[in-house]
Amino acid sequence: MSILLSLNEATRSVNSGNNKVTLLNNINLQVKEGEFISLMGPSGSGKSTLLNCIGMLDNFNGGGYTFLGQPVHSMKEKKRSMLYKEYIGFVFQAYHLIDELTVFENIETPLLYKNVKSSERKALVADMLDRFNIVGKKDLFPEQLSGGQQQLVGIARALIGNPKLILADEPTGNLNSKQSTEIMELFSELNKEGVTIIQATHSEKNASYGSRIINLLDGEIVSE
Amino acid sequence: MIKNHITTSVRNLWKNKTLSILNLLGLSIGISSVLTLLFSVYAYYTADNNIPEKESIFYLKTVLKNGDEYRSVPYPFLDVIKSSSPKVIAGTHLHGWGNIWLEKDNKDFQNRTDYADPEFFEVFDLPFKYGNSDTALKNKYSIVLTDKVSRQIFGDSNPVGKTLIGADTLNLQVTGVLKPISPYSSFRLGVILPNTILKENPNFVAQNNWENSFSPIDLKLSADTNIAGFQEHITRLVEEHYTDLESISEVKLMPYKEMRTDLMPIVDVIITSSIAASFFILLIILVNLLNLNTSTMLGRTKTLAVRKVLGSSKKSLVYQYCIENGILVFVSIGLSILLFLTVNLPRLNDAFGPEFGEISFNILNDYPVIAGIVIVGILSTLMVSIVPSLRFVKIPVTIGIKGKIDRIKNNFLLRNSFIILQFSIAILCICVSVILNRQISFMKSADLGFERNSILVGNLDLDYKNLDDAQSKFNALLNDLESNPYVKSVSTSESIPSDYYFNYSSYYDPTINNDVRMRRSYADDSYFKTLEVPLVEGRHFDRNIDQPDERPVIINEAAMRAFGWTSIEGKRLNYKDSNSTGLPIVGVVKDFHYEDLQEAVEPLVHIYRSHKELRLHRFLTVSVQEGHEISVENKITEAFNDISSRKTYVQSRLSDMVSGQYLLIEGILKSVNITALTAIFISCLGLFGLISFTAKRKVKEIGIRKVLGASVTKIVLLLSKDYLILVAVAAIIAFPLAWYIMSTWLDKFAYSISIKWWMFAVAGLIALCITAITLGLRAVRSATANPVDSLKTE
Repeated sequence: MSILLSLNEATRSVNSGNNKVTLLNNINLQVKEGEFISLMGPSGSGKSTLLNCIGMLDNFNGGGYTFLGQPVHSMKEKKRSMLYKEYIGFVFQAYHLIDELTVFENIETPLLYKNVKSSERKALVADMLDRFNIVGKKDLFPEQLSGGQQQLVGIARALIGNPKLILADEPTGNLNSKQSTEIMELFSELNKEGVTIIQATHSEKNASYGSRIINLLDGEIVSE
Repeated sequence: MIKNHITTSVRNLWKNKTLSILNLLGLSIGISSVLTLLFSVYAYYTADNNIPEKESIFYLKTVLKNGDEYRSVPYPFLDVIKSSSPKVIAGTHLHGWGNIWLEKDNKDFQNRTDYADPEFFEVFDLPFKYGNSDTALKNKYSIVLTDKVSRQIFGDSNPVGKTLIGADTLNLQVTGVLKPISPYSSFRLGVILPNTILKENPNFVAQNNWENSFSPIDLKLSADTNIAGFQEHITRLVEEHYTDLESISEVKLMPYKEMRTDLMPIVDVIITSSIAASFFILLIILVNLLNLNTSTMLGRTKTLAVRKVLGSSKKSLVYQYCIENGILVFVSIGLSILLFLTVNLPRLNDAFGPEFGEISFNILNDYPVIAGIVIVGILSTLMVSIVPSLRFVKIPVTIGIKGKIDRIKNNFLLRNSFIILQFSIAILCICVSVILNRQISFMKSADLGFERNSILVGNLDLDYKNLDDAQSKFNALLNDLESNPYVKSVSTSESIPSDYYFNYSSYYDPTINNDVRMRRSYADDSYFKTLEVPLVEGRHFDRNIDQPDERPVIINEAAMRAFGWTSIEGKRLNYKDSNSTGLPIVGVVKDFHYEDLQEAVEPLVHIYRSHKELRLHRFLTVSVQEGHEISVENKITEAFNDISSRKTYVQSRLSDMVSGQYLLIEGILKSVNITALTAIFISCLGLFGLISFTAKRKVKEIGIRKVLGASVTKIVLLLSKDYLILVAVAAIIAFPLAWYIMSTWLDKFAYSISIKWWMFAVAGLIALCITAITLGLRAVRSATANPVDSLKTE
């Protein structure tokens, strides 16, 4: 399996008042294509920060970050956003669907930003709706859906651009256990189809769906 | 993509319905007033566009040594110029000589009448609706009508070739109808007659000399004319022909196209201030929209962040926001055009009075105004969208997605200054309105020195068709009234309080060598009795003693003071350098307010004239016992229905005529009130946006304070305190300004109220209450929110 991304002594710190707070400290990590990694650790251990940095929404201040062989740490912002637009999909704990858009339009949005042609967009979204069994819901607005359905739409939206990597920050945090199980099973199915997944979670049960568990504490990897 | 942007925009606007509607209202009102101002300016500048070759038209201006200027020159001057200079292509007089009565099918019409040379339309080639301008004034008995007059007399038909009877004797043939003329044009026309018709008028012939200046002259010069040389030529002719060169400094050749600004410099001021006002209104509504947008942007930080995660560029986010505001702005422009056409334009026409045509909006002519407003719309959209959205799209995704907006820095100084500015204007207007209101009610209720209740006034200058018949019927009416038990007194006079002519004479007292300029009027023996103006010395006129030929007079106290007399004993009103024995003074009346209270009571003299002089008196005044006004009114109206006249007899009450003097100032009050309302509405709109912004930013703080036990009142105060302070600062700025403006204004009134502190207190309180309600609406909502919701973490 080829290497998707690698972190080399990656560090992230912020200034809070006069104090320098280190959020991530010397992270060394290699992720191969097709892996399903669960990041675990208590609140404040740096799980979300690590996901954001890997997802290029945030930057490491030190160390190296290579994604598909390209050095992300020395990239210009524009290039970086091209890269994550192409290869990364995000799933959030609070779903973060756009309230003003219907299910169909929410899923369609990433394609709009990739300048995909209208006919092709329609076909892709229709496929996705089909696959997730939510064709009947396509004209509803997010507030008309249950939490589990919203997260389904969130995942569909993350997948529509056919990414290599899905980053999921507590994807089941707002769901009940039955919905959680459904979502996790969906993730493991996607993983089997070849999508690399990194999730942050508190739940041992959810973590067990992954092929690899990484424990974080105070911004450092303590065990694998 | 664009479709997606538009859908999102419409859904966003719909989601914030209240705010969108408020914005729409504010924008529509603002833009429609800008549109009205711009349109007036545009209409003014293009009003004379229908006159071809304006560059080659010149007029003559007489400048006196004392600095006074006027457009008239002696009548024969034109002929002298034309015959002595080959450069004159055409030249014309244009002047009035009394407005002619025109009769058609036994109906009489009177309109402004001007007399012009047959060459008039060669100088001013005004477009004709019907007829031919080359020959229109060639025939002595021809008449040219403006569109308005033509409609009045002939309806929509083409009147060319039809005949009108002018002044009972002249058969005038209609030779042309002019196209509608803008009221902004320098032409104020009704009907035009050839001045050849005046050559038989003995009065005119007597004035047609080098001593009298009563007619403007306009010349069309050939393009190669040396203007400086022509001016010298004019100056030479003046020296050669003028009989009285003592008071005249020069006669100037002036370009016609600059005439309006030259003769009415105030217009330039009005135009400049209109443009400044439009700019200012625009600035205020834009700043408000900016404030409101900033506050709505706060609620969108999360959506913006999500869109960025999904791959949106910053540009695309800004673009979407531009479309959203563009929809708002352009819908407002649409509404404001509607508002302009249905409300503002008719009001604008009302302001000009219906006499000289009306301004209409015609897209073919006036498209530059619409184009201008569209450009303004685009620029405004860009400004109100780009400025706030740029600030928000810069927020890092990781912060935005959590909706943590309390970290966003803000430049309050600029916004606070605008809030203060807006409220200063609003409070200023309220102050002006309060004080003006007091002044008007003071003037309306003040003791004017004469009785105005239960006094009927009718006009007698009716252009009687048969004066002898009218006179005998009128005498019968007078006898009738005098014997009516409900009538206390009847009088006829040239003037009535609120309507005195501006006729003055200078009288001289040789014993103390004092010269006094006095306003002069004529009254019968019961004028002062009817108005119940008390005598201070002497007696009233008496029809049994006084002879009109001797011209006995009654003066007022002001006249006595002006002469420095203590008694009229043995005094007469003499003319200086005259051999006549002068006018005997029979009495002195107490000063009364024959004009509105803006004017001081000046020396005034009433000369005796018999009550039966129907031809000379202008008013019939009848004092009636209270409660019997209607029956007496009916009696008088009946009598006048029997007298045939061109004008209609109009019956009014003296109290209404006195109040009517304040119509103009009440109009001003009305527009001040509207301005105040608009200003406070727009200001509060901005304030509402700002407090929403603060409330959202402080949602967590409010939650924490409530958990710690703060009351709703405390929190409302916390949220609104800063803004109430701003309003207070605005008041502190506005008060001295209002005081200065109003005391300067009230100085122009001869009798005015004194400005009291409580007037400002009232104005301030009004502003404060409106502000408090606006702020309260939003603040209470935040303060009563459940802290459990606001403190919940994501």
